[in-house]
Amino acid sequence: MVKETIVKKSRKGSSNTGEHIFTMLNTVFLILLCMITIYPLFYIIVYSLNEGLDSMKGGLYLWPREFTLFNYQYVFGNGVIKHSYLVTIGRTILGTLTGLIITGVTAYGFSLKSLPYRKGLMMIALIPMLFNGGIIPYYIQLSRLHLVDSFWVYIIPCMFSVWNMFVMMKFFMGLPEEMRESAHIDGAGEVRIFVQIIIPLSKPVIAAIGLFIAVWHWNDWYSGSFYVSNANLLPLQTYLQRLFNANSLSMLTQNSQIVAEAAAHESQTATMTITSVKMAAVVIGTLPILCVYPFIQKYFVKGMLIGSVKG
Amino acid sequence: MKQFIKNIKKFKWHYIMILCGIACLIFFSYIPMTGLQIAFRNFKPGNTVWNAKWVGLKNFWFLQDLEFWRIVKNTFVLTGARFLISFPAPIVLALLINEVKNTYFKRIVQSITYIPHFISWIVIAYILDSFLSPYGGIINQLIEKFGGTSVFFMGSNSWFVPIVTISSVWKDVGWGTIIYLAAITSIDPELYEAAMLDGAGRWAKMKHITFPSIRPTIVLLLILSMPNLINAGIDSIYPLMNNANLEVSTVLDTYVLINGLQLGKYSLATAIGMISSIVSLLLILLTNKIANKVSGEGLW
Repeated sequence: MVKETIVKKSRKGSSNTGEHIFTMLNTVFLILLCMITIYPLFYIIVYSLNEGLDSMKGGLYLWPREFTLFNYQYVFGNGVIKHSYLVTIGRTILGTLTGLIITGVTAYGFSLKSLPYRKGLMMIALIPMLFNGGIIPYYIQLSRLHLVDSFWVYIIPCMFSVWNMFVMMKFFMGLPEEMRESAHIDGAGEVRIFVQIIIPLSKPVIAAIGLFIAVWHWNDWYSGSFYVSNANLLPLQTYLQRLFNANSLSMLTQNSQIVAEAAAHESQTATMTITSVKMAAVVIGTLPILCVYPFIQKYFVKGMLIGSVKG
Repeated sequence: MKQFIKNIKKFKWHYIMILCGIACLIFFSYIPMTGLQIAFRNFKPGNTVWNAKWVGLKNFWFLQDLEFWRIVKNTFVLTGARFLISFPAPIVLALLINEVKNTYFKRIVQSITYIPHFISWIVIAYILDSFLSPYGGIINQLIEKFGGTSVFFMGSNSWFVPIVTISSVWKDVGWGTIIYLAAITSIDPELYEAAMLDGAGRWAKMKHITFPSIRPTIVLLLILSMPNLINAGIDSIYPLMNNANLEVSTVLDTYVLINGLQLGKYSLATAIGMISSIVSLLLILLTNKIANKVSGEGLW
């Protein structure tokens, strides 16, 4: 008996030190992970705030050495970038609105469990998740619909996402059935129930899905790169993608007038390098998301969780 | 038939609503599926997918092309390596985050590790370029400090797969933990208390309670991640491609894209795309079947 308690105690003791070591290592590991996550983002900001020629010397780690805002001035003074910024903002707003409407409306239609033929319709919605025609037939279809080289290619094909519809549908199904029924008895039509009862109750899921769609639009470079050739319609991320392989400042602007202007400011341009200007452009393209992230984070997580419940 | 009309009338608003989404799918998923027939036709600009000339299996000549099989190999090397690391990584991280007792610290770790999910691949390409650059990039500076010679990572064939793998993990490891952490928090705490009374340590609890409880979630995500084994993803690969690493960075997805949209070989690209769509479908069905057989945890 006594022996047993001793054994137990000592085992507990050793596991306690083991636990302590584990906790410590775990904490250190997670702190390191956070640093690895943050540092690259921090670094591009530092780089963009440092004078280009100085950055080339290396040794730039934590703080700008030769602080300058000129890289940003250059980027903001550039008509092409400004324009692509507008395209991105436009498609993000319009794309999010239309996406929410179409996806939400469809989700509400599907949320009635007793709807006849629901299973069959659901199959139609699910099959494209498993099998698709691939990019070339898709492109041919886009060009048949005259969407290629049009602003609408960013909006119309992306209005509906089966995955997002699922998340919203699950949320709607979780709302108390009685409300819908009593509204029905009061003579309200489906559309009115949806607009006046369901939507106000669904703010969390609308926020979550809306943000998912908005971030997707903000970050999408792909449609701009492959479906659009008109330089006036390029969104910011596509512009950044084109810029990635540029190795001279004139490629950056695609505009001889701006190059001429830059040449006139030779004195300032001399201390500027393509890399630091690129970094400034990248920061401008990412900063909006990083700035709003802390405030909207909980909605994202909520959206993920609603979607992850199996069933 | 009468019943059908009655149903439609009774629920007409629901059907109209559903039709909004289905119409999008018809235009942008189903009609493109009918476009797959150009894999057996000779499609030229100006044709429609219905009136191009039939050529039978002629477009499938690539199956005998060594170049094609090299690209298949590239694809599987890349997606295989990425899968092996980026699939288990969120599970491990979720288990580690779950062991943190201090809720404040836990929340900070979660918030920070979710951030890269919202960074576009283009920006990641820029970050990689600035970090790995042979001219003043941080990594090469460290290598030189320790007496090594600097490496041109972005233009190197042997570094391409590790770079893609590491950046995928960096981007999505934190975000991937959300689902697992949700599954972990839904575990009944009494199980842990009972295990504690039996003298189970941290490791035993993890092995016998936590892990079995999140296994259905793991299986679910495993099945859903199967298509990624053949679709390397243009989003993540294309920005990192350059002339120097073309030999390893050409994967099925980018090959289809370059042949089809950039070189205009529509029929060939469709044929290749069709094969990879079919393989991806088979992978999902097969994994689902295995999951059902082994543990009854398949998706359907």
